[in-house]
Amino acid sequence: MRTKAWHTFLFIFLAVFMVFSVIATVSIGATELPVSEVYGVLLDKLFHGGEQISAGVFETSHYKIIWQIRLPRTLFAMCVGAGLAIAGAAMQALVLNPIADPYVLGVSSGASAGAAIALLAPIAIMEGQRQTTAFAFIGALGAAFIVYFLAKRAGGGKLQPVTLLLAGTAVNAVMSAVTSYLVFRARSPEGIAAVYNWQMGAIAAAQWKTLTIPAVIVVIGSIVFTMMGSRFNMMMMGDEDAAAMGLRVRLFRSVMFIGVSVVVASLVSITGIIGFVGLVVPHVVRLFARTSDNRIIMPMSTLFGASYIMWADAYARSVHGAAELPLGIVTAFIGAPFFMFLMIKNGYGGSGK
Amino acid sequence: MTIEYNNIGVKLGGKDILTGTSLRSHENKIVGIIGANGCGKSTLIKTTFGIVPYHSGNIFIDGSPISDFSPRDLASKIGYVGQDTSCAFDFSVRDVVAMGLYAQKDKNKKNKKEIVSAALKELGIEHFADRSIQRLSGGERKMVFIARAVAQGADMFILDEPTNHLDISHQLFVMDYLKHSGKTTLIVIHDLRLATHYCDYLYVLADGVTYAEGPPLEVLSCDNVRHVFGVHGFAGRSTEGVLDFALFECGELGCISEIVEGGDEAHIGRHMPDLPQ
Repeated sequence: MRTKAWHTFLFIFLAVFMVFSVIATVSIGATELPVSEVYGVLLDKLFHGGEQISAGVFETSHYKIIWQIRLPRTLFAMCVGAGLAIAGAAMQALVLNPIADPYVLGVSSGASAGAAIALLAPIAIMEGQRQTTAFAFIGALGAAFIVYFLAKRAGGGKLQPVTLLLAGTAVNAVMSAVTSYLVFRARSPEGIAAVYNWQMGAIAAAQWKTLTIPAVIVVIGSIVFTMMGSRFNMMMMGDEDAAAMGLRVRLFRSVMFIGVSVVVASLVSITGIIGFVGLVVPHVVRLFARTSDNRIIMPMSTLFGASYIMWADAYARSVHGAAELPLGIVTAFIGAPFFMFLMIKNGYGGSGK
Repeated sequence: MTIEYNNIGVKLGGKDILTGTSLRSHENKIVGIIGANGCGKSTLIKTTFGIVPYHSGNIFIDGSPISDFSPRDLASKIGYVGQDTSCAFDFSVRDVVAMGLYAQKDKNKKNKKEIVSAALKELGIEHFADRSIQRLSGGERKMVFIARAVAQGADMFILDEPTNHLDISHQLFVMDYLKHSGKTTLIVIHDLRLATHYCDYLYVLADGVTYAEGPPLEVLSCDNVRHVFGVHGFAGRSTEGVLDFALFECGELGCISEIVEGGDEAHIGRHMPDLPQ
């Protein structure tokens, strides 16, 4: 019972902290705006249909910064954090490895290759940004599917943890090679810079219209994964035990693998590579919750992941003034040492079984 | 409830492991499957939940083909515990046992807790119910996994070396538990002494087929033991009338050199110097 009370406390704390993070980080940015003005604009827009804004109480430029840049960005950061975190938790259960990350899927390297093609190859189907996102999404899902079928083929028709990890590594190598080759052949320095920036990951591109699809996918994904929490728990015991408990192991792993891929692809195709979120967040949550039960870890990871990325992005956009620090660098600086800490602390040698 | 494996053929990595093995459980009895390492004992029982695919033969549950049952149905009837009880993630013992509830048809929440507590109690492991599965010894984990099988509500156990990793008192505890549970039980077992003591019926697998079957006293004859394990030994009754398995060196019943517990140790027994007559 004591653990139950502790979990309830953690839930409430994380939920309150997430709401606080939205409110707090929305007032942080390169342009210094008085906090009162930030909330004045938001409250007016949300509850009074923007009467005061129309009446000219606030400066139009400030209104635009707050309503059209900061808020969608904050909300998108929330989606990215929540989505990558729960995808990480799900991935770790599917490949039976506590240090797996959505990148194991090949999703991010596939997205990179897709983005590189869009930015560097002489094709213009859609207008700039949208083409990058579309190609990155195709690349991400494409890579995930290659990983999936490669692992299945190598595993003799079964999707097994080890083959999945190896297939991810192999596909990551190929996709990185594609990206590097395109950069090598590229004629325009702007294109190369664009690919480079894209690989460092940022959520600066967030707008109201780019927010909808990933938000819907993340919300649906989080609900579905959490509802499947007890099945993910069974997967964590290993294939043999999961099967003995009555789970259709192969079907479950296949369907959930696709689900995780779609969630991650919908995010990284817009943001670029933001690493280690799926690794760090579920682990921190497990550390505090003192359990691996996914019915608890998954929803907590979405809450904590959302707050984590909101703060990381707030830091990224404010620390160097107008020159924004790529978010991928922030998460790597936090995530990589944490990864090392985990390796030493838990002595993870490889896959569980 | 009975399970019947009929002429099962399994190929793994292009190699024939089982070429036509048949055996069946006996109602409310402990049936042991014995045989040399690599003879396919574990492989056979792994076909039950599709963990290992079989290319020929059939499995029947109470006379119906196993394909008629959903995996969940099957798990509510059969509690399977494999050899490997390691876990890469941190769950409490209670959580692991509660996972067995997935197979339970009774979804009443209040009952769930009771089912888990009862299962923990049945195996005598309530005292470490809140400990992490990762901090238990191999033997303790085995008990937890059997408790999980109990929580599944299974009428039947299929266990792969249930006494593996257990010290002698826990070996006896588990075997006594199985005996007294009265459940139909199929176990893969290496320890020929325990097999002789506790199993009502034995199947000997060798060369991919069922080589011999019958009560331990018949099956563990000198000839069968020599053929299957390459050692000299037999099951018999001691002067006190206790069922036991003995290894001997010189081929005469009078010179039992050592009573040991199968596997590698049997080998040691074979090289023991002759005892004075």
